[in-house]
Amino acid sequence: MADDILYSVRNLTVDYKTRGGIVHAVDNVSLDIRRGEILGLVGESGCGKSTFGKALMRLHDGPASIPNGELWFDGQDLMKVPMKDMPAIRGADIGMVFQDPMTSLNPVQSIMEHLTETIQTHEPKVSDAAAHARAEDLVERLGIRHERLKEYPHQMSGGMRQRVMISLALALRAKLVIADEPTTSLDVIVEAKFLDLLKELQEEFNLTILLITHNIGVVAEVCDRVAVMYAAKMVEVGSVEAVFADPKHPYTQGLLRSVPNIKLDEGDLYKMGGEPPSLLHPPTGCRFHPRCPKAMDICSREEPAFESVAGEQLASCWLYQKADGKQKVTNG
Amino acid sequence: MANQIENLPNTPPEGANWESDLKKVGFVRRLLRARHWYGADWWFVLISSIAVIGFIIVAIFPGLFAPYSPDALVGPRFLAPGEEAALSVLVVPSSASYSNLKELAAGEGSTRPRIGVVQGSSTAGDLNTQAQLIDQKLKEQGNGVRFRPVIARYASLDLALQAVADGTDSAAVVQSTEFVSVKAKFTTLREADSLTGETAGSFALGTNDIGQDLLSRLIWGTRIALIIGFTSAILSLFLGVPLGLLAGFLGGAFDRILSLVMDSLYAFPGLILAIAIAAVLGPSILNIIIAISVLYIPTYYRIVRGQTLSVKQEVYIEAAQSIGARRPEILGRYILPNVIPSVFIIFSVNIADAILTGAGLSFLGLGLPPTIADWGIDLARGQRFIQTAPWMITYPGIAIVLVVLSFTLMGEGLTEIFNPKLRDR
Amino acid sequence: MARKSAETKKDSSSRIATSGQDLVEVKNLVKHFPVSTGLIASLVNRGNIPSVKAVDGVSFTIRRGEVFGLAGESGSGKSTIGRLVLRLYEVTSGQVIFDGIDLKTLSAENMRRMRSRMQIVFQDPLASLNPRMTLGQAIEDPAQIHMPELSSDERHQRVLNILHAVGMNPPESFYNLYPHQISGGQRQRIVLARALITHPELIIADEPIAMADVSVRSILLDLMMKMKKEFDLTYLFITHDLATAKYVCDRIGILYLGKMCEMGDLHEVYDHPLHPYTQALMAAVPVPDPLQRRTTKMPEGEIPNPINPPSGCRFHPRCPLAKEICSQEEPVMRELRPGHTVACHFAEQFLPK
Repeated sequence: MADDILYSVRNLTVDYKTRGGIVHAVDNVSLDIRRGEILGLVGESGCGKSTFGKALMRLHDGPASIPNGELWFDGQDLMKVPMKDMPAIRGADIGMVFQDPMTSLNPVQSIMEHLTETIQTHEPKVSDAAAHARAEDLVERLGIRHERLKEYPHQMSGGMRQRVMISLALALRAKLVIADEPTTSLDVIVEAKFLDLLKELQEEFNLTILLITHNIGVVAEVCDRVAVMYAAKMVEVGSVEAVFADPKHPYTQGLLRSVPNIKLDEGDLYKMGGEPPSLLHPPTGCRFHPRCPKAMDICSREEPAFESVAGEQLASCWLYQKADGKQKVTNG
Repeated sequence: MANQIENLPNTPPEGANWESDLKKVGFVRRLLRARHWYGADWWFVLISSIAVIGFIIVAIFPGLFAPYSPDALVGPRFLAPGEEAALSVLVVPSSASYSNLKELAAGEGSTRPRIGVVQGSSTAGDLNTQAQLIDQKLKEQGNGVRFRPVIARYASLDLALQAVADGTDSAAVVQSTEFVSVKAKFTTLREADSLTGETAGSFALGTNDIGQDLLSRLIWGTRIALIIGFTSAILSLFLGVPLGLLAGFLGGAFDRILSLVMDSLYAFPGLILAIAIAAVLGPSILNIIIAISVLYIPTYYRIVRGQTLSVKQEVYIEAAQSIGARRPEILGRYILPNVIPSVFIIFSVNIADAILTGAGLSFLGLGLPPTIADWGIDLARGQRFIQTAPWMITYPGIAIVLVVLSFTLMGEGLTEIFNPKLRDR
Repeated sequence: MARKSAETKKDSSSRIATSGQDLVEVKNLVKHFPVSTGLIASLVNRGNIPSVKAVDGVSFTIRRGEVFGLAGESGSGKSTIGRLVLRLYEVTSGQVIFDGIDLKTLSAENMRRMRSRMQIVFQDPLASLNPRMTLGQAIEDPAQIHMPELSSDERHQRVLNILHAVGMNPPESFYNLYPHQISGGQRQRIVLARALITHPELIIADEPIAMADVSVRSILLDLMMKMKKEFDLTYLFITHDLATAKYVCDRIGILYLGKMCEMGDLHEVYDHPLHPYTQALMAAVPVPDPLQRRTTKMPEGEIPNPINPPSGCRFHPRCPLAKEICSQEEPVMRELRPGHTVACHFAEQFLPK
């Protein structure tokens, strides 16, 4: 695996057991996350991005399972790691920031306790005093006064709590932080400051961040590359500049044109027809074909491969491929 | 490029949405599909529902199932389940041509045949009675033939039977159960008809201390139990639910006072309260029902009030206000339907508990007049004979347990099935 | 028109028709929510019960036929104002005047009848629909309440017409469905349909698209504008997203912590924001263009607790330009440009030269 790639996901499928049958919440998705980048993972509800994020840490609840896939994190396939060893990797190497910090922080532990417990669980040799000191430095860096360390989660605002979540991830010098809709519950100014913080952390600690969001604007503000998911599949990946300037997949094109831009004079927003499909009975062939203004005959019959369209920009669309019956999956 | 609203592919949700699918296929299919999801629980629910339906049918048509009337004295006292009631039977030589007293009387030979009995056994009395009856009949016939057997008393069964085997006696009258045990020794003898012409009977669950068939009493008791259970549950529901709704919806002093009253009632141990009320009102079915229903009103009240309070916070209630709905409509169409599902499970558990409490009350002698067949009364009766006739208390007890269990399990299951938004586990 | 004939049958005491240009006039609206405290605490505080000052003196007007935007972050009071305009909450002080009628003067029954003229579309369509009512019943309910003169068939037909108007086709197939059986975007249409069935004049839209998928939002916005034309509506559009507001609003007011900072024609305010908070807010909105990333610095701190708002100008603790007067004296709304008012002591420095 190339040295600049921190996490290489190959052919990941995540199944979900529902009353109607098995649903592929993530369906044969491959993605590379490069060291030190902020990669945005974008999609609408039900596209599988949150499930994907959790699967990267092999964090899934009861009805979910991973029947297939390779998770090459820093040279090691996490799928081959026994489940009992995963907690050591989570937190230490991969940290996660969730959407609702109120429910992901323990309401009966103060912030200081959260931090010291995290540090000492993963690094038992660290003394109490050392752990305290580290915690103080950390939150200082994140803009929280260290008098507030003895507060409890409910005493802090949403923005503060999100910073605490990040600090938990940083406390163990995680290499990768997966942030799942971290700013969705935040006000817009707090969100802006949080995004600034992410960029600073990326620079200072060479932190790699996978930013999962449905907010296109956030992706444009802060990400280096962007990956677009639709109906459990990856449809486009590329640098933000390239994808925003020249989106290749029709879904990406429609999505970008339907988002209001405060800096532009208003014209009409693009209206994409239809709704995201059910994953129990997804459309045949390319899953976007029922809504695609450029759908061709082959789109309803065969699924296109996910491959390079223009340099490092990848997309899965028949507009750029010839139907030769071969399915290739290249690196993302 | 511009997508007009009218051209939107706005198709109704297709089979992709499993819930709309379910609604279309109806109840039975929904039941069967639910099996895949609920697994073992589905079996619980199915079995308990069948049991409940079974109990209800038995309660409505006890006559169809019970072999005897519950009050009839149909057999000997303290007969164990399955045990054969001992009958007096005639034992004759295998070669004899007669099989019962009548034939013996009509047969040739002396007018005064010898028939043996064991001293002290009750068969002597039976023989006497039967012989007199036959004699009487013959007298009426008036052809001069009479039947006046000589009753020979022997000290033991063996002697009596030996006499028949020797030919000294024409027959012997013994208990059927006794004969069975010594049959092997007297190969020349056979058991003929019973004295009274009855066939030996046994009772599936035995008889009680005065000779009533326990099975019949159990079956008839189901009717009483279920009547008490359902009626008091319905009464509690119709009082508790509206009060809870109003208290939750209106709040204020009304709510506080009512909650105080209800909490006090609720704090009482159930049985004690029921005893107190029943003692005051006096024994009768109606009074038991009233006593038990008072017990449950607070439960409905609390649950419904709690649900009302939480539903009141929901946005759709605010929406109902914003469209100008009046308060009765908000209560009836917006709050009540969302509160009802929780009532289902209480109702079922309520019935179960009411049956239990009713049995408890009659066990203590506070409930029904003892002439009515009721599980509680049977329990009380059986308590005295628990050593000698344990079946008297066991079967009513099992019946109570089964009914209570079935209703409880079924209630839980029904809630899940009838809720249009089948809740996730 | 169908609307007019329905109107004439309504109770005249609730309709004093005015032909004024302003449909809604809000004057010095104040709403304080008392924080419930225990008996001891309230005794100790000597009756000075702390309260959340959700709305603390807001005034604006909404002209007939316009889309008036109310923008702000959490704690700004925008949602509370929406409900006060509808009299879903009672005002602590101030007036809400709808079509020349002060809503506070109406009896409960007359207020109820007034509701057929003003409706609300909530943020969460799933939460605002009764899970136990079919879609048809939900839409029909307002008609049942306010139009008793209609027969059951007429009502049913009206529901079908509205369903068709909001794009739920074929209408009959949606009538008997339940809210959980349709998608989020469809649900919001149902909520809109329910709001439209009595042909109201005013619709309060409280973050109507915030919970919809990104690709569905533009469709919903388009639908709302189409309905506005078709039914002659006036909107009070409450949002936290200034980018969306730009696409639909004619005029806009920016709220901060229960007070209005700035108000005016949309393009006026967006092209020349005069209040530091407005400027920060506009700069903070993420722009979906990686070549136009934000470079402005954001104000320090976070939104303070509305139980204890800062003295003077509420924004002063975070304002980079705050001077001493800002913490002492509350600025009043002043018209610095035609149709453009702002509440800031030093707004003049931002006027275009």
